[in-house]
Amino acid sequence: MEKVIQPAIQSKPRTESSGRLRRFWNNKTLLLMCLPAIAFFIVFAYLPMPGVYLAFIQYNYADGIFKSPFVAFDNFRFLVMNGDLWRLTFNTVAYNLVFIVLGNVLQIFVAILLNELRRKWFKKVAQTLMFLPHFISAVLIGLIAYNILSYDYGLLNHVLASFGMDPVKTYSNAAIWPFIIVFTFLWQSTGYGSIVYFAAIMGLDNEIIEASEIDGANAFQRIIYIIIPWLKPTFIILLLFSLGGILKGNFGLFYNLVGANNTQLYATTDIIETYVFRSLMTNFNFSIGSAVSLYQSVFGFVIVITANWLVKKASPENSLF
Amino acid sequence: MFKKSSAILLSILMASSLAACSGNNNKDNKPADSAKPSNSASTNTEGSTNTGGDVDTSKFVKITYMVLGNKPTNGQFEKVLGEVNKIMKEKINAELEWKWIEWTDWQTKYNLALASGEPIDLITIGTDWLDTWGNAQRGAFMNLDDLLPKYAPQTFNSIPAEDWAESKYNGKIVLIPENDYTQWVNHGFFYRGDWAKEAGITEPIKDWEGIGTYLQYIKDNMPDVIPWDAVSGTSTFGGFNASYSDNLELPISTGYLPVFTAKSFDEKFTINSPVFEDTMVKYATMMKEWADKGFWREDVLNNKNDTRASLRAGLTGMDQHHTQTFGGLRVQMDKDQPGSELQMFPFNRTRGTNLTELSITHGGTSVGAKSKNPERALMAYDLIRNDEQIYHLINYGIEGVQYEVVDGKRQQPAGYDETKDGFYADFWGGRVDKFEIPSVTTWDQLEETLYAEYDKIKKPYPYGQFVFDKTPVEAELTAITQVTGEMGPAISYGKAGDPVKAVEEFRNKLKTAGYDKVLAELQKQMDAYKKLIEG
Repeated sequence: MEKVIQPAIQSKPRTESSGRLRRFWNNKTLLLMCLPAIAFFIVFAYLPMPGVYLAFIQYNYADGIFKSPFVAFDNFRFLVMNGDLWRLTFNTVAYNLVFIVLGNVLQIFVAILLNELRRKWFKKVAQTLMFLPHFISAVLIGLIAYNILSYDYGLLNHVLASFGMDPVKTYSNAAIWPFIIVFTFLWQSTGYGSIVYFAAIMGLDNEIIEASEIDGANAFQRIIYIIIPWLKPTFIILLLFSLGGILKGNFGLFYNLVGANNTQLYATTDIIETYVFRSLMTNFNFSIGSAVSLYQSVFGFVIVITANWLVKKASPENSLF
Repeated sequence: MFKKSSAILLSILMASSLAACSGNNNKDNKPADSAKPSNSASTNTEGSTNTGGDVDTSKFVKITYMVLGNKPTNGQFEKVLGEVNKIMKEKINAELEWKWIEWTDWQTKYNLALASGEPIDLITIGTDWLDTWGNAQRGAFMNLDDLLPKYAPQTFNSIPAEDWAESKYNGKIVLIPENDYTQWVNHGFFYRGDWAKEAGITEPIKDWEGIGTYLQYIKDNMPDVIPWDAVSGTSTFGGFNASYSDNLELPISTGYLPVFTAKSFDEKFTINSPVFEDTMVKYATMMKEWADKGFWREDVLNNKNDTRASLRAGLTGMDQHHTQTFGGLRVQMDKDQPGSELQMFPFNRTRGTNLTELSITHGGTSVGAKSKNPERALMAYDLIRNDEQIYHLINYGIEGVQYEVVDGKRQQPAGYDETKDGFYADFWGGRVDKFEIPSVTTWDQLEETLYAEYDKIKKPYPYGQFVFDKTPVEAELTAITQVTGEMGPAISYGKAGDPVKAVEEFRNKLKTAGYDKVLAELQKQMDAYKKLIEG
């Protein structure tokens, strides 16, 4: 069993073609399971790819994509014109880095804690409770946040007032918003994300744990020397995946928490998505939209390649390709 | 080993499903794939009619009409349309089908519907709010010059040539205007007459200072009322500019607030910018004052309250919208807050110099470029617009169910229940005054008060044939839209710090965004337009 499955994840194909064919046949069930994902990517990622051409033309409905006039890099001009590109890229990347690093660390932490829980019902309840925020839409989160933080009627200021303290103007203080946003993100994503790590821990052979217990390892040693190294490949894969989207902001979260019109907070909360939304909401323009998305994709591609290259240098067996 | 590999596989699948959620950047591209060029659409249609000039209606067809609005859910619409379709079937062997573009994210959906390449027969248009010229430029509509006289003769003949002239893009008719329907969509503040009286304001308010006095009275005397529970999506600089300058609005959107206007009615071909005039500083200063006095919430920029609902509940003293809205709201307010005597201060009242009539292409109907049955679509439209029976069905519903006429006025029949019997079709693509029946839900003094006042100062709309070609300045215009969206709300609600400095920064950002280039281009095109108009 083990030997049959093993080659499926090896990246280097064997030289003889007959062997390859047999391997293909042997893994038919696994491949079948991958089929929906493969179909998804063909339909939604590869087939529309020629559409990036849209970024270089001045799109006209009647002429269609390939007959509309070619304008080269004109559509990218608006991104650099205001000199905002650097600030936006910085904000987007910085937020995403924090999301990725803090998010994964917290997810691993929670997964380990869940694993250490012995009472089954408590484990289930804890898991479900942490899972729930994932299903709350960003619009609702925005409303909840407003009802807590609002100056005149917010819960927070009511509580502060009852302690005889001065009310705070949350919505005009840009400095605290990175914390609010990161906190909300973690609150929303940790439960869901920890499932992947939890599943990976479940995959750990019990014999190894038992062996370590016989050798006298305590819980901390077990975590540090067995579980965390075991999670490393999962972590690296997830890291590489999320790095690809490092220039893609979480529009729903930012837009709903900060609101469309609160200029005072833009310095610390404006990301590429919200900026583009503001610019293109009234001037519906496919081409400029595509140009921005192409910029994000190319940037993400370069980052993934670089990160993978670095991983390959450090620990070749964990790199993606 | 099995466990390890399945764990990895699982994580890959999980991660890819996550990536799938965020990877919708190709969304914009997809519909475009199916968009095929169809320049020949209008020539193809010739083949389907026989040479004798008679119209061949032997084949039954379905005509779609795309309107903006939330789809009615109580089944009344289907009943009414069924009635309409009985007549349609009999007269032109066709059936109408309404397609709704719901208000959530309507701009995107409207434009996507046009871009998707799906065959749209009839669609609501509006040059000043639905980017109709932009869509015409992108080839979304069919040229109607040859089709109209043959398939919609009543409509074609009833609209005068000068109105057709305003319906042309590049010399071709691309839309049918709503040229024969009186409505006023100039904006203003709605305030409560009873509270104004208490505040010692006896004359109708005619400027922003007067509004300030009114709001201050509420602030000082009614602790439970927010003087104006504004939401920052409401942009009032255009209104302020209408009150304190002679500038005319132009059919060019720069997002949150108007950056470009025409200087005045006498110099209607000279472009200027109210943002770079003193008006902007005066406005920013006044709004900062209002904010500091607490006329609206501290968190106004994040406020998502429904101002109108608050007004009707007596929780706020002011609202902002156009005359048409006021006509209905006044009646509702008389019911909800008896004695409130809701009043309107139209922004144009202050100087009385810059009220132009509504563009006749504020509403209208176009035929989609990819329509399969443009002939029958136009025939159907001709009936909607010129057949009184169909017109009343589509606009008011079934007589006896949705309405009855008493003393020449539409009113709801006894036992009428809004949730059960309510009906609307959101047909804004060619209403005509001659078929309209006044309704009891519109304030009956509207004509003798506001309309009469407007009639005294109104001027003809001068930009009916002006179509701004954005192509040369697309990037700059997008950047300017971004800047107005970024700075506009904070300045408009006094949350941008020192108003003079904020305006200075706003102007600088506009300059960087390419203000001068757009101004020059706009002036250039306006000069050409001047030649066209003045010969």
